[in-house]
Amino acid sequence: MKAALRRGGYLLAASPPVALVALFIGVPIAVTVIYTLGHLGGPNAAVSSIALHQVSAGDRLLTFGAYREVFDEPNFRADLVATVWVTAASVGIVLLLAWTIALFARLSGRRVAGILTSLAVVPLFIPVVIGSYAILQFWSYGGFMKTIAHAVGLSGFPALGFTLGGVVLAEVWVSLPFAVLMISSGLQAVPDSVFEAARDAGASTLQAAWSILLPMNLLPTIIATCFTGISILGSFTVPYLVGPTSPNLLGPLATETFQSFNQPQQAEVMSMVIFGLAIVVALPYLWATYRSNRDTATS
Amino acid sequence: MTTTAERTATSRLEAPPGGRPRQARRPTGGYGLGRVALVVGVCVLVIFIFGPILWLMLWAFAGIWHYPALLPQRWSLSWWRQVFDYPQLVRSVGLSFTFAPVVMAVSAVVCLPAAYALARFPVPGRRTMLVVLFAANAFPKIGLYITIAGLFYALHLMGTFFGVVLIQLLGTIVFMTWIPAAAFASVPRALEDAARDVGAGRVRVFLTVTLPLAAPGILVALVLSFLASLDEAQGTFLVGVPRYVTMPVQMYSLVSDYPPQAAAVFAVLLSIPSVVLMLLVRRHVLGGSLAKGFEIR
Repeated sequence: MKAALRRGGYLLAASPPVALVALFIGVPIAVTVIYTLGHLGGPNAAVSSIALHQVSAGDRLLTFGAYREVFDEPNFRADLVATVWVTAASVGIVLLLAWTIALFARLSGRRVAGILTSLAVVPLFIPVVIGSYAILQFWSYGGFMKTIAHAVGLSGFPALGFTLGGVVLAEVWVSLPFAVLMISSGLQAVPDSVFEAARDAGASTLQAAWSILLPMNLLPTIIATCFTGISILGSFTVPYLVGPTSPNLLGPLATETFQSFNQPQQAEVMSMVIFGLAIVVALPYLWATYRSNRDTATS
Repeated sequence: MTTTAERTATSRLEAPPGGRPRQARRPTGGYGLGRVALVVGVCVLVIFIFGPILWLMLWAFAGIWHYPALLPQRWSLSWWRQVFDYPQLVRSVGLSFTFAPVVMAVSAVVCLPAAYALARFPVPGRRTMLVVLFAANAFPKIGLYITIAGLFYALHLMGTFFGVVLIQLLGTIVFMTWIPAAAFASVPRALEDAARDVGAGRVRVFLTVTLPLAAPGILVALVLSFLASLDEAQGTFLVGVPRYVTMPVQMYSLVSDYPPQAAAVFAVLLSIPSVVLMLLVRRHVLGGSLAKGFEIR
């Protein structure tokens, strides 16, 4: 009885953030799901009363009409492909850069390591809207890169403002700090002795990195991958400011569908698509977390 | 199979942007070359990270600046005057700095006790709670805001101060719980027990042992939450407009409706608190306080 009370007390103490998330994120997600499946009444009445072009389930349990409609749109499919492409490219570059920086930081002296990671972490503290705008100005026609290229005679240098390439650059800029922090803090935790033992056995720096550091640092790498991927998939500010209007990315597309075209149901279908992709990206993280916890529990 | 994988990894690492060769840190063979490569790499990184910010800062002081000049043809402070003369912009600065501390404080009150409980007590379903917080983060914000709008209308939160606080709060919960939870968890129990043994009470142990040792993690979470509020535009736009137009919301209209100078001035203003806060917590962030929070244990 007393133990049960105590457990209840612990649960109560730990519950406020979860309760808040359940009420203001969990409930809206559930409401979103039934809205996209054609239920316009109940909690969706307020939004659907002024919305255009909705698909209703009527008397049926559910309808996939809204999904079918969205997917039948060739523009949407192009935007979906662009979103996946930009996410994959950005995550790949972020991981490559973060590993390179973290590896150099790990293998160099304390001072160089400090300089490298301090540099890479700066964008974490710059508001995304400013970072995006700054990158747009920097890489656009008339920006620094074009100016320098012009000065050295490379007039063919591409202006990356309002292109998907520019979006990738900006996403990398925004996401780099988190990945560097995760991966370098993981690498710092690997003791010198492990590394030296591998080198003594004849492995080169890179072999040692690949066969020892990577497996030992797998969880932080997976965390960096998943969080970077998820935040890029759903990002709005970066593609809205830096990206082209066609193809658009799904984040700004959903926003536009809602705010400019007043089609919240279609916007929610797009959100569900982003969510679906985000879950796929999150699976390795959930798996790794589950596995590492099971390992610590059994050992 | 393995060799292909190894080779790809090797070639990847051999030619990172900035072109640092693999022998960079090997004491034998081309140490000098490695040094040079490292310096080049750092320079590329500096340009990539700082270039855009510096370029924007130049714009804030530019009177006339035509391509392809590397610096403005004429310098000017006139846009600073214009921004400060525009009451709407000044008001948005004030609003942003009202919301940010309020959101930070509410987030701390909601999350910090829970973080402590999750770190120190055998809370039933603890791991599920931490993962649920994470899953909530995976849903795209705009999709959330559309249905939250319906909920907010029903609760009469649309267009209110509290509604804006709430919508900004949602973006801070995950790290305000995770990072301090990891910080509390990393305080050695032996230290707390030792303090208890010499007669300190529970509260005293918490205030003099646990809290100071967990402080860096908490500080990082507080700063990140302050910045998240300062940065949030999409939800604030939906819930707060027209009464609560904060700096980032204002930034969107500046970017599309004004010459680059106005947005640049505003961007510099908006970045100042960020830079100050960065200097405050840089050491702790680099020390792993942030990274620890994301490895759920």
